[in-house]
Amino acid sequence: MSDTVPERDMAPKRRRMMDMVLALGGLKEESAVPLSKVNEEIASLRDELSPLSEAILGFPVSYFGQLVAALDASGLVEEIRDKSLLSEAVSNVEAALTGLPIESFESLLVNLQSVQKRFEKKDEEEAPEVTVDLTATMSSISDLISELDTIIADHERKAESDAEAARSELDELTSELKRILSEEESDIAAVLDALQKLGTKTRYGPFLRTSAQVKRGIREGRITEDRSSKLVFENVIMELNRGIVMFILNKMGSKTVTQMADLMDVPSKIVQTAIISMLQRGDIEMVGLEEDAPVFSRVLASPPGSTLVIKQLGQQIRAMRNSVDDALASVVDESLARLESFHERLQILGEYDETPLSVPINSLREAIDAATEGLLSSAKSESADELRLLVSAGLEAFARFRLKITLEKGPNLVSGLNVYGEKLDAEKYEQIMSEYLDSELERGTLLVLIRELGALTAHDLAEKTNIPQDRVFRHLLRMKRDELLTTVGETHGYVLYDVPRTLTEAEIIVQTVCSLAAQLASAKSELEQILSDLKAEDIGRLAGSLEVFSKAHDRLTKLEIGGAIVAEDLLQSVEESIRSAILLTYRTRAKIPSTRAKVTIDDLLDVDVPSVLDEYREMMGYAPLLGFGTVNWDHSKCLGCKSCENSCPEDAIVLKPRIKIPQFFEFTTEAIEQLPSTKAMFYNTVRNLATKKPVEDIPLDSETPGFGSIEVDLWLCVACRTCVRICPGPEEGALELELKWSLPEIVRQISES
Amino acid sequence: MSEKSDVILCTCGKQLQLDYEILTDRIGKIELAKTVTILDTVCQDDDLEQIAKMIEKNEGRLVIAACTNQKIQPRIDQFLYSKGLDPTRIQYVNIREHSAWVHDDLTEASEKSVAMTRGALARSSTSNTIPTESKDVAGHVTVIGGGIAGIESAISLSGLGYNVTLIEIADELGGHLAKLPMVAPTGKSGTEVLAARLAALKSDSITILTRTKVKYVEGELGRFVVHLVTDAAEEDELHTSAVVLATGFKEFKPTMIDEYQYGKNPDVLTQLELSEMLTEDSLKRPSDGGEVKSVIMVQCVGSRSEDYKRDCSKLCCTFAIDNSLEILKRVPDAQIRIVYMDIRVPFENELIYAESREKGVDYIRGRISMVWSQGNETRVKLYDSLLDQYFELSSDLLVLSCAVLPPDGITELSETLGYAIEDDGHIKELYGKLRRNETRRRGVLAVGAVTRPQFAYEAVTDAQAAALVIHNELQGGRIEKIARGAVLVADDCVGCSLCAQQCPRGVPLMVEETDLENQDDEQKLVFKATIDTLNCHACGVCQSLCPSGATQLNFLTNEQLWAEIDAVLEGAGSDYPITLCFYCEECSVSTIDIVGTRKMKYPASTRLIPVPCSGRVSIVDILKAFESGASAVMLAACETDRCHIAGTGNEIAQVQVDVAQEILNAIGWRGERVGMYRMFSAEPERFTEAINEMVKRAKDFGPTPVHLGTAGKWMEVKE
Repeated sequence: MSDTVPERDMAPKRRRMMDMVLALGGLKEESAVPLSKVNEEIASLRDELSPLSEAILGFPVSYFGQLVAALDASGLVEEIRDKSLLSEAVSNVEAALTGLPIESFESLLVNLQSVQKRFEKKDEEEAPEVTVDLTATMSSISDLISELDTIIADHERKAESDAEAARSELDELTSELKRILSEEESDIAAVLDALQKLGTKTRYGPFLRTSAQVKRGIREGRITEDRSSKLVFENVIMELNRGIVMFILNKMGSKTVTQMADLMDVPSKIVQTAIISMLQRGDIEMVGLEEDAPVFSRVLASPPGSTLVIKQLGQQIRAMRNSVDDALASVVDESLARLESFHERLQILGEYDETPLSVPINSLREAIDAATEGLLSSAKSESADELRLLVSAGLEAFARFRLKITLEKGPNLVSGLNVYGEKLDAEKYEQIMSEYLDSELERGTLLVLIRELGALTAHDLAEKTNIPQDRVFRHLLRMKRDELLTTVGETHGYVLYDVPRTLTEAEIIVQTVCSLAAQLASAKSELEQILSDLKAEDIGRLAGSLEVFSKAHDRLTKLEIGGAIVAEDLLQSVEESIRSAILLTYRTRAKIPSTRAKVTIDDLLDVDVPSVLDEYREMMGYAPLLGFGTVNWDHSKCLGCKSCENSCPEDAIVLKPRIKIPQFFEFTTEAIEQLPSTKAMFYNTVRNLATKKPVEDIPLDSETPGFGSIEVDLWLCVACRTCVRICPGPEEGALELELKWSLPEIVRQISES
Repeated sequence: MSEKSDVILCTCGKQLQLDYEILTDRIGKIELAKTVTILDTVCQDDDLEQIAKMIEKNEGRLVIAACTNQKIQPRIDQFLYSKGLDPTRIQYVNIREHSAWVHDDLTEASEKSVAMTRGALARSSTSNTIPTESKDVAGHVTVIGGGIAGIESAISLSGLGYNVTLIEIADELGGHLAKLPMVAPTGKSGTEVLAARLAALKSDSITILTRTKVKYVEGELGRFVVHLVTDAAEEDELHTSAVVLATGFKEFKPTMIDEYQYGKNPDVLTQLELSEMLTEDSLKRPSDGGEVKSVIMVQCVGSRSEDYKRDCSKLCCTFAIDNSLEILKRVPDAQIRIVYMDIRVPFENELIYAESREKGVDYIRGRISMVWSQGNETRVKLYDSLLDQYFELSSDLLVLSCAVLPPDGITELSETLGYAIEDDGHIKELYGKLRRNETRRRGVLAVGAVTRPQFAYEAVTDAQAAALVIHNELQGGRIEKIARGAVLVADDCVGCSLCAQQCPRGVPLMVEETDLENQDDEQKLVFKATIDTLNCHACGVCQSLCPSGATQLNFLTNEQLWAEIDAVLEGAGSDYPITLCFYCEECSVSTIDIVGTRKMKYPASTRLIPVPCSGRVSIVDILKAFESGASAVMLAACETDRCHIAGTGNEIAQVQVDVAQEILNAIGWRGERVGMYRMFSAEPERFTEAINEMVKRAKDFGPTPVHLGTAGKWMEVKE
């Protein structure tokens, strides 16, 4: 689960600090770390890296030697069926060869290219044969479907047993939660600690963030006791419940609300409230119905290709339904029903291992394509243009179902009225329909091309089809929304679109190997070049290329061919070298200046602040930041006049409608005597009339001239002291600025963070 | 400083059910009473002579216990002034409407009368004489906005003898009116209506500044400084005594309402754009200059819509009909359709509606659903809600009657001019019934469409009224009147600016005392308030909020009110719980007088103290009443949003009461012992219900926990 931290706005004051630093022109080349020191650090890094570099640099050559041998032995390359994957692999290996001309890459390339040639030949050979035995194809379809059924059932059984395993973990979670809540723990921080410990197991991001925030708030004393207890017992618990929901959906599969409530042993109302926000956050989604209850599942980054393919195959079969004779119709109906149920079951499964499904699904698609083609060719068999036929085959299969709906509904629109009493003009209807047909035809063409030629961009497609590129783009977006296409990357700034494909294990291995070969080859040559003459400014690139090695290494340790990890010993032996090299590099990088903010503290120490500030105000249009400070408020001297709030240039100080009445009784007689007469009389009268000392503040609904308490938002305060100067309170006034400076200090903090 | 006063008790022609013997006896024994005289009719000449004699004898310290001062005070004042005597120290007690007429029990009524007279004596003992003061101000008024309202204001003010500067942002005077081809129901065009007025503007006393904008305004009534910016970005200052805002209105431009295609199709116009076209006599299709044979007008574009302007814009129906008739004059066979929700033509304008129907203007009740271009035709699809049918029509022009919005810039100006703005963005008038055209800020008047959509003749009436209001204030440049209001002692002022922040009319100004600054390291900013008593409305809000007692009403100082509270409540205790009622001398005094004249009954365990506005009562006054033994305290005030002193005096009072309740609750009392009640003068039941409720609380809650003499108890009480 990727824990993406949402981008936060910079706090206003921090923003202002940055502005301030920029406005002061302080971004000068740093000279705080002398050059000699830098050179020293670089030299020592070079020394430390040299014993490691040999192992690292030699790693790609020796590894790929073993790997290619293993590949040859397994014959995996021969199993590749996907042409686009193949051509991508070829170009990757070619790139690898330019960076690292070694024998093993060459032989891999030869292998790949021979398979590629065979494909081309096969295409040519296969092209003319058109006649298809429909009955046979249909029965093979039916067989394949049964095969799929078993595999999916296997998956479901596995999911069930996984769920069973997760069950005990879940029970532990819920009972622990119950225990924490039942204990009469008065210390809210302790409760929060316990919850946090528990919640970590769910690994639900929002919970972790919320609890950490609340904890920080409590620790820094920003949150009152009441508030923190409310936050912990409402917000944090709610997030924890969400975490548990996520846990269930992750480990035990899709569930209805009542099922989740039973599992968590809480009223279903709690689950219901919890999931509303989760739906909004896009954590979970509704994937189906069980009886009448919605079934929820967690949202997958993108649904597995196989699920999409099954959905598409279903659509294609449905389209065939009207063109077959009665004998076959029942077979088609049955296949259709089963495919639809597969789609639903796969959706409920969410994520699953696609590899076992790959072979039957691909065969099924071939069979269905063949059947479709057969159906069409049986109508009129003489085909002139090969590609045109293919195009129309895809088209027909794809478009008929939607066209059918449109054709049925369209005439109604012309003859009758819609709910608004409006009527569609017959001419207009014709226009709409012809536009619609054109679009559907174009979309079909694009789809067929992509399926045949592999992932393509809008630019490629426009060239191939002569459809204007903007139209192509619109079609692509539309088809992506309909889940007919997925985006698979980009090339030359264009997004690559592909039909959902199910890759076989062999294909995945070859794909991984070839892309890593290209990456490692270029990283190796870069590393060699950098290490030959290590300079301070290369430190970033050095870290980057070492990271490539590290990541590639991690992926390769998971790569199995024929049930065994390739060159396991080699991988183990080089692991430590790569890791230490990265650590050393980062350590040195932290010590030398080129990666740090370029401002010197010494420069700023001598800045004549007031003179800079006028300039600054002119330039920025708002008051400059002088530093941090705390504004202390002496209640006994405050007249509640709001002068401070009115004069504050930054709205940092406010008179809150809240009477801190307990403090009325703490004021000294001397302090009251200092006050203006009527104000003093007010306090004395209140004290005289009191029969008990108030213990709680009085919150007021709205502003009340003369009453209230002062609050300062230190994130907004620019320490300009205007409020202090204007306060009319006795003696020096009720406010005092305790300046905890200062600009140089702040700059230091920025430059270190 | 406890000066004694004479007391006059009036028997109202021997009609009042009070025991005058007891009253004379009891009042005579009050320390502050010098003499007690019983008169039968203080409102008649014989007794007035008697009053005059007593005033002369005792430096004007006199307490008159009679009927409501609303009736007798004007008469007594007039009589005494005619004799050259000063009536400003006289204090009144209402023993008729507040006592004799509303209580059955003679003893209780007499007791109440004695207590309230005791209070008035206390108030009298430290009373001030209030001098008549005068000041000279420039006889100059600035009128902002050169439309019909501004022009009429300038002419009227000039006629009253003032120098006027008329400021207009555009090139020409005349505003929207100049663009109207016909002004119903006069039958004249806008230019004709304006012609005579524009001629009248050519007077020596009127300066016209076109292409000039007002940037901001400083100062107060009698000495405003208007900061101007000319077209050429030159800045200028203008010293003036009052400001008239006549910036008119702005027509809504519906570019964002897609269905009308305004701004996209050149043949779609707003009603005022059509007016302009007709005034210039260039009626043709803007798209191709073709002739106009058919016109569709759409009413309520933006008006009566939750999205744009909620209210009816009032003018557009009449404008549309005016324009239809004008089109028919020029193109007699033109086909005109008006698509409307409701036709609202006020007053005589109904006549032109009838005329238009006779002349064949087609009124279609419904809305337009879409507008589109087909070739060079503008096609309109509309729904007729009476026929429940859709129609598609072509039209040469589509005219949108757009909402009337407040003009640009009034929010910016309000920052320095300090007037209030309504929710709909127009300037808020001081009090819709009695103080039209005045704004929250003294000396700033608002006339014409800037306050609400107005027809030309309404704007003219407004302008004339405003001129008279200004004349009343400026009195031709020499202001002379009794300086009854707030007086500020600058030495006591701490510069907190609460008075300036909260004064309902923006009278106190804060002035920076640069001489007093920079004397120490603290670099304190020193401000002092200044109050021109002649500008003051005498509500007492500043006094209620002033932490130092620096600003006080000269006819009701803190000392006076606190002494009165003390005296009225003398001997109050738990065996006979007293409810003290402060009432404002605006709505509440009338309400209570009506209660009296209708002889409605309420308990006599009540004591009434008049204040000029409920905003005068501060939390200290309320707490002092409890300290002096009151069992309940109530404030009688004007209705919400109906405060006669600019709408905020009673809100300040509400705050005092709310806070007092909270504080009482917090210190171990029942907060409900204090209550605030609003009333319209014509609803006497609201007062009797309120005071019955408070009397009931006084009784139900039992003895108050602490009062004078028992204070300091909390020290021993543990939580």
